[in-house]
Amino acid sequence: MAIERYEDMNSTALDVFREIGSIGIGNAATALSQVLGTQVHMKLPKVSIEGYNEAIHCLGNPEEIVAAVLVEMDGDMKGIMLYMLKMDFINAILARLVNKYIDDFNQIDELSSSALEETGNIIISSYINAITKLANIEIHLSVPSVAVNMLGGILSVPIAMFGCTSDKLMMIQGEFLIGDTQLQGDLLLLPDIESLNFLLEKLGVADV
Amino acid sequence: MGKQLVVGIGDMKLGRQEGTIITYALGSCIGIALYDPMIKLGALVHIMLPEKVNSDSNIFKYADTGIKETLRKLYAYGADKRRLTAKIAGGAKMFEMKGGGSMGNIGERNAQTVKRVLSQEGIRIVREDTGANYARTMSIDLQTGMVLIKTFGRPELRL
Repeated sequence: MAIERYEDMNSTALDVFREIGSIGIGNAATALSQVLGTQVHMKLPKVSIEGYNEAIHCLGNPEEIVAAVLVEMDGDMKGIMLYMLKMDFINAILARLVNKYIDDFNQIDELSSSALEETGNIIISSYINAITKLANIEIHLSVPSVAVNMLGGILSVPIAMFGCTSDKLMMIQGEFLIGDTQLQGDLLLLPDIESLNFLLEKLGVADV
Repeated sequence: MGKQLVVGIGDMKLGRQEGTIITYALGSCIGIALYDPMIKLGALVHIMLPEKVNSDSNIFKYADTGIKETLRKLYAYGADKRRLTAKIAGGAKMFEMKGGGSMGNIGERNAQTVKRVLSQEGIRIVREDTGANYARTMSIDLQTGMVLIKTFGRPELRL
């Protein structure tokens, strides 16, 4: 049965995407640990299907400022990868890469911004590479783009992208832990509905 | 201060006389504040896409159906087209996609459609704060019709 809405997915399908997220985030954590030269762990990913307003509240407050790296996916899986970082995570990256500490988002200069962009790019590419190998599919990634702004405004991008086909967002949400501290950084995989069907079929779990 | 109504994404609220209506963090979405000063009746609608293309039941998601339905409600509550004014905000491009990308500039298309629909409906746009690359929180004071725009790292703007 083809999935027409995110809510149509049964528990097997959801498990498949949790597993995909788990493989992706595992590879992303390895890549991040190489970039930062420190141990990076990951939490088991969550798959959530939420209305727009609930999705924003899942991640924080709509007016809260975050830094986000966005990459658009095309090919066998279409959609968006979004890597969202809060202050402590940004500082963990900036301290190791550009030897800088900030206590306000206004202090993110061009150098810091490109450090975040590059880190995001590496994380997202390794995440997607793992998925393409697993499912033997091709996914093309756009050049990453960085924004530092309100969480709600940033999420309006995937919301508008899927808005014609869905009233909900499906987020495969992964989190990193650097050393012993849990740092707030969300890596979101947001696939479109058509790609869900393709991927489930490809993995041989379309009719369960 | 009085009571405050919160408008979500693809949502609309209206109120009269007192309090405020607010919507948070408009990115590529657009907030349209409509106000009739004589009866102090106002509405705020938060649209996210230009035009309704399918049988979607959520009409406030779209500029065309969202504005028309909001106006219908305002008229039902006694608003007069000649007195109604519109103030619009949002329509930003949050990410600068190098090499285009398939997403295009949805914010700009939203803004164009909102302006077109308002003009077709004969409603004047008196103030606007659209475009650029940042999110906006928008609220309307129902006592005065004044619209307040809050952004990150910029002074508050009164429309």
